[in-house]
Amino acid sequence: MTSTDVLDVRARAKREQRKRRILNVLYLLFGMLLFFVAWWLLSLEASPFYYDIPPPIDAIQHFLGNLGTSSEMRAKFVHACPDLHPDRATNWLRQVGSSLIGYKYTNEGLLPGDPRPIPLGQLPEGCYGYAIHLVVTIIRILIGATLGTVLGITIGLSSLVFPKVAQVFTPVASFFGTAPIFIAAPFFVIWFGVEVPIMTTMGLVTFYTTLLMYFFSRRAAENISVGIVESALTLGGSPRSIFRWVYLPGTVPEIAGGFRIALAGAWGLGVLVEVLGIQVGGGHLIDIWRFLIGLIEAPSALVALITFFGVLAVVVDGILVVIIRFLTRWSESGRRLGL
Amino acid sequence: MSKVVSFEGLWCVFEHRSGQLVNALQDVTFKVEPGEFVCVVGRSGHGKTTLLRVLAGLQPPTAGQIQLGETVVSGPGADRAMVFQQDTVFPWLHVRENIEFGLRAMKVPTEERESITAHWLDAVGLTDFADSWPRELSGGMRKRVALAAAMAVGSDVILMDEPFGSLDYFTRRNLHEVLLDLWRETKKTIFFVTHDIEEALILADRVILLAEGKLVDDIPVQLSRPRDEDVRASTDAVDITKTILAHLGITEEEAIQG
Repeated sequence: MTSTDVLDVRARAKREQRKRRILNVLYLLFGMLLFFVAWWLLSLEASPFYYDIPPPIDAIQHFLGNLGTSSEMRAKFVHACPDLHPDRATNWLRQVGSSLIGYKYTNEGLLPGDPRPIPLGQLPEGCYGYAIHLVVTIIRILIGATLGTVLGITIGLSSLVFPKVAQVFTPVASFFGTAPIFIAAPFFVIWFGVEVPIMTTMGLVTFYTTLLMYFFSRRAAENISVGIVESALTLGGSPRSIFRWVYLPGTVPEIAGGFRIALAGAWGLGVLVEVLGIQVGGGHLIDIWRFLIGLIEAPSALVALITFFGVLAVVVDGILVVIIRFLTRWSESGRRLGL
Repeated sequence: MSKVVSFEGLWCVFEHRSGQLVNALQDVTFKVEPGEFVCVVGRSGHGKTTLLRVLAGLQPPTAGQIQLGETVVSGPGADRAMVFQQDTVFPWLHVRENIEFGLRAMKVPTEERESITAHWLDAVGLTDFADSWPRELSGGMRKRVALAAAMAVGSDVILMDEPFGSLDYFTRRNLHEVLLDLWRETKKTIFFVTHDIEEALILADRVILLAEGKLVDDIPVQLSRPRDEDVRASTDAVDITKTILAHLGITEEEAIQG
């Protein structure tokens, strides 16, 4: 084989790789097209779901038309967003704080700013739009999942170093792990009430991700070969350096895979808790429209909101895949996991 | 500075799952001078790896002790770096970072660490692969990384547990040459566990023969170096082979039949 042949083989391999990437994108687009075609077919007059499922274009138009502010919501609902403070443009801390902790508590002087409740009629138009509700839900779920991940990994990995932690936590985690987490959702709402979303939406998401990440991080650490740890010991590795250079990087592929699973579940769980009674958030919007299913625009609203969370989960998962691929670029299995 | 390694009345007893006690090592006593290349030979399950693990500090002895100079071995440490049979290169670290691992753990200053790493990368012929991931290397190259990492921590004693067992003949022969060059350059004491008599004849100054956990013979290998095919076919080499086979209870016919 001459050097020209070698170059030719390499160029061909690159071409093949590029072709595969383009094909992957095309498959994705084809999948999305299939989804919309199926949706459109189900919305036709001949379909048994004609009254429940609007055409895709109607749902998209409804969603975009109500994103910033919603005259439909303002006209129909006496209650829109009591947790959202009107002066959010100048007091973001109060805004975020009240939407996460609950207006009742922030209005009792925990956060700076004017604590007086605002009459419904004086609430800014933005409070009636979908965007603010969806953003609040996304923030709650992401904070809950992040907190749960940090807690789960910390407890999981430290339980390997301190067996007492495992003795205490494993039975608790196993007990709650065997019960479907969705069963726990109503109890969180009943116990903590609808006025403190930090304990309900975020609490449940945190609790759920902590359990999952505990199991994933323990299993990931247990799967690190004993030979590798022994090799590190004979090279002079201290417990600290072994934790930093062996356990932390070595557990990334499994932990990252676990986080994808946990976050995928967290979207559903967070929205479910909001549907059960939280006063602000995407789930709350779904709940409102659910009660008004007889109105002409209700199916469009419901389908649009549910589809939004589906698309959001896919997009966030796609971003995670890119991050995981970077973090596990050393590992073939990690790369496969990220695909 | 290299130190004498003394094995004194070493016993290692394991409890089998059935409750039966198994003597992995029985009263093993011998001394190794600094800079010696010792091959530990024996059949599978006759205590070779256990002996090395006790020396590495990964397995406490049931009785007896090992002394490195004046110090009694009580746990693992960088003064006895080990190259394992299985692949123990850290897959998440680049080749350079793998070699640096022990130096980082010992908090060697960056400049010194980089210079030591560069030296060992060059010594094992991996300078061009310093920034590669282990998965991009062949099995033989990964063994070279493990060898360089063990050498880089500056231990007086290097322990090798059938390190080339999973490699093909040509790669193994190439690594024998790399190892012998490093040994000649550094004068480190090397303990090399193998069940391959030819490998022991190529490498060793001395063969420690273990059978059922007992030291059954301590054979000096006074063959000239380099030990090419002619040297290994010499009468002295054949005599050593016959002695080892006899101790292991294998006839020449059985050995030829494999």
